[in-house]
Amino acid sequence: MAISFTINGVGRTFDGDEEMPLLWHLREEAGLKGTKFGCGIGQCGACTVHLDGDAVRSCSVPMGSLAGASITTIEGLADSDDNLHPVQEAWLEEDVPQCGYCQAGQIMATVAFLKDTPNPTDEDINAGITNLCRCGTYFRIRKAIKRAAESMAAT
Amino acid sequence: MNSLSRRLFLKSSAATATLAIALSSTPFVLAQDDEAEGGHVTPCLRIGTDGRITLCVPIPDMGQGMETTAAQMIAEELNVRLEDVDVELMPFLGRVNDEGRAVFGRFYQGGGGSGSTMRIWTEVRRTAAYARTLLLEAAARQWQVPRSTLTAVNGEVIETATGRALPYSELIEGTRFIGDEVKENSVDPKPVDRHAVIGKDARNVHGKAIVTGKPIFGIDAEVPDMVHAAIRRCPHLNGSVQRFDDSAARQVAGVLDVVEMQRIPEDLSTYRTVAAGVAVIARDLWSAKKAAALLEIEWDGSVSQEDDTDLLRQKCLNALDDGEFNTSIEGGDLDAAFDAAAQTVEATYFHPHWAHTCIEPHSCIARVTDDAAEIWVAHQFMDAAINGVTNAVGISPDKVTAHYYRMGTGFGRKFEEDYVMEAAILSKATGQTVKVTWSREDEMEQDYVNSLVAYRVRAAVDSDGDITAWHMKAAGDTVPAIVTREYPARLVDTYKGEFLQVPNGVSRGAWRGPHHNVAGWVIQSFLDEVAAETGQDRLEALLKLYGRKESLKSVNWPYRDTFFERYRAVLEKAASEADFGKQMSVGRGQGIAVHHTFVSVCAHVVEVEMIGQNDYRVRKVTSAIDCGLAVNPLGVRAQVESGIMDGLCAAKYGKWILDKGLVTSNNFDTYRKMRIDEAPTDVDVHIVDFGDAEPRGTGEVSLPPVIPALTNAIFAASGKRIRSLPISENL
Repeated sequence: MAISFTINGVGRTFDGDEEMPLLWHLREEAGLKGTKFGCGIGQCGACTVHLDGDAVRSCSVPMGSLAGASITTIEGLADSDDNLHPVQEAWLEEDVPQCGYCQAGQIMATVAFLKDTPNPTDEDINAGITNLCRCGTYFRIRKAIKRAAESMAAT
Repeated sequence: MNSLSRRLFLKSSAATATLAIALSSTPFVLAQDDEAEGGHVTPCLRIGTDGRITLCVPIPDMGQGMETTAAQMIAEELNVRLEDVDVELMPFLGRVNDEGRAVFGRFYQGGGGSGSTMRIWTEVRRTAAYARTLLLEAAARQWQVPRSTLTAVNGEVIETATGRALPYSELIEGTRFIGDEVKENSVDPKPVDRHAVIGKDARNVHGKAIVTGKPIFGIDAEVPDMVHAAIRRCPHLNGSVQRFDDSAARQVAGVLDVVEMQRIPEDLSTYRTVAAGVAVIARDLWSAKKAAALLEIEWDGSVSQEDDTDLLRQKCLNALDDGEFNTSIEGGDLDAAFDAAAQTVEATYFHPHWAHTCIEPHSCIARVTDDAAEIWVAHQFMDAAINGVTNAVGISPDKVTAHYYRMGTGFGRKFEEDYVMEAAILSKATGQTVKVTWSREDEMEQDYVNSLVAYRVRAAVDSDGDITAWHMKAAGDTVPAIVTREYPARLVDTYKGEFLQVPNGVSRGAWRGPHHNVAGWVIQSFLDEVAAETGQDRLEALLKLYGRKESLKSVNWPYRDTFFERYRAVLEKAASEADFGKQMSVGRGQGIAVHHTFVSVCAHVVEVEMIGQNDYRVRKVTSAIDCGLAVNPLGVRAQVESGIMDGLCAAKYGKWILDKGLVTSNNFDTYRKMRIDEAPTDVDVHIVDFGDAEPRGTGEVSLPPVIPALTNAIFAASGKRIRSLPISENL
């Protein structure tokens, strides 16, 4: 039976293998390459997207579980490239990305994190952000999270 | 070749990113056309049909910031602002050498050895300066005025007296027919004191594409008619396929073919290039992966039973006592110096293998026909990727068209050819355009790891605490000669370096700062031990040691002069900025270390706080680096920060485990990487400026000294000396 859900606000149906992780649907079928494959076991967070507003690791979400779900990917985070989300802006301001591969996942994790923790301490960040960055941009990620929090509080 | 025919030639070849063989004999690309892409003025500048300026850079980016740094060099000479232009990779502009190999042409087109910036420094700026001159000359001809009355500013040529202007885009046609009159080397790049872009902070030029999720990485590449391969590679090191049953795999919808992958080379006693395995070809990636998991394969892992982490460790340690060593370097009378010593300090060190864990698993698309090939790949070295195709399927490099992408890190692993070869082999075998995508487990099991080595270090010390003799032995699964030749050998006049390779089947490769990544630790930790044993101030002891001579020519690649004034300067800078030696509370400590990696030198002070007896957190890292002229200070600081994290992480957790030939640390659940909770919240990086007019390198330089600064800090905080890595198992 076909499964209906939305990706970035656009309705989609799926009637393929229900075991397939959402990650591969996004990358290989929906043409959304911004969500990255890193480990396939939910460890690294490169594939982080929002499922009904919560950050999830899409490599570990089977398609069969998505009936009625609302999915947001990095491509759907901002209205347009000229009007970025404050977290994306903070990432640019702090010049966070080196290779950049994990950063879409880091940004998606941060957006969800700041919804629950709008004014995070270092300890909050340590507990709430668990994505892996192989370039080791954590120092700048921490600064960008705080910058984004300040910017979102001001608006 | 006249201008017009040259133009046509270039239109048919270089514009589509084909290997442009003719460029080796052609002095310069004046302009090339592509109806869809617009025109080029030299390989460094492309102007789109919409007038948009694109700077074309020669070396792929893996996170080291090379595309941004190179774009700064071009922007400097073209007088454009980075925020006004786009940046893309230029095609491979090499040639085929007499051995039938693709080699670099005018530009160095590989990322490695912390040398990319300095290797392209002169050519890229000269090429961009030439492009500027061509644009000025074209305007001068159009207006019938002398070139000297014109300037190039923000993408326009302006007549100074009148203020009239022409955008670069309207001058491109005019540049095509003046190449014989404006000689390519007639213009020098700007001197340092006129730099407006070089030496200033520049953010990642692809930052916006990254934070909005644009498909810019190799793994994102797609070709309309491609099919997908998932390969089950032999999990046993150097093992082979005995037999397999693909009947269940072939039942999966979408599966097109199953192909056995032969090990390359065939001889199992030689190091692996391509692993033995079985590939499933399917219409889509998920079907390929799912079917590959259903393959029933009987592996033969008998060849690697002795390739075992614990066994290799023991063999190396035993060899330190009774092995037959080779001498790497020797000077003075070692025995006499140790006999005369007031004190002798000796210690044994060990580190296991580290995996690369490139965050982007490898992938490659290949389309191989009878007499040509095309690849789409993220690779550190443009020539090596092409040679991978030639090695795999015998297509000559001049028949290989390569499209290059951004890498989700490389660290030396994406220098290898295996993932390109697999795609080429499967394309040839199936007649299809094939995309091979590696899993994380593949990436870690089939790694070319950092070496596993045991060391014995001895120092003879006189009554003043000065080292009078230095003796270093290294036994490892590689040829660990480089470490044993490093300073303080020769800085101390009596010295000996010895090395021995223990037979093994492990594939090793370049891992960020090869050899130096561990040399820094062993040497700087041991020097800290000597200072502690002889009751000296640690910083003073280092300054005294590196004050013994003014300079030496390095005996390790790239064999440059080492100026010890710079060692002392970075040590003093890091120490003063960190207030090294300050009073610390119980359970806290500082460590200091310095190391020279290839071309640049870096010092760190690390502050740790112990958490109970067996854990710690790094609270602060203060760094000073001398990398010559810093083209992009913001990028230099990013690379120093990156090397710090990489070093802190590898030292604490890095351990790639072989269990009788099977890699048991094959994903992030079994090979731990640091996350933000263990990252220092305070990283303070200082670039020490010696007024150099030329850049050197940065990418690998901060890693080697951070590990000893860490372990020395742990000693200061806890009294425990870490002589075996990873720290997490030895604290």
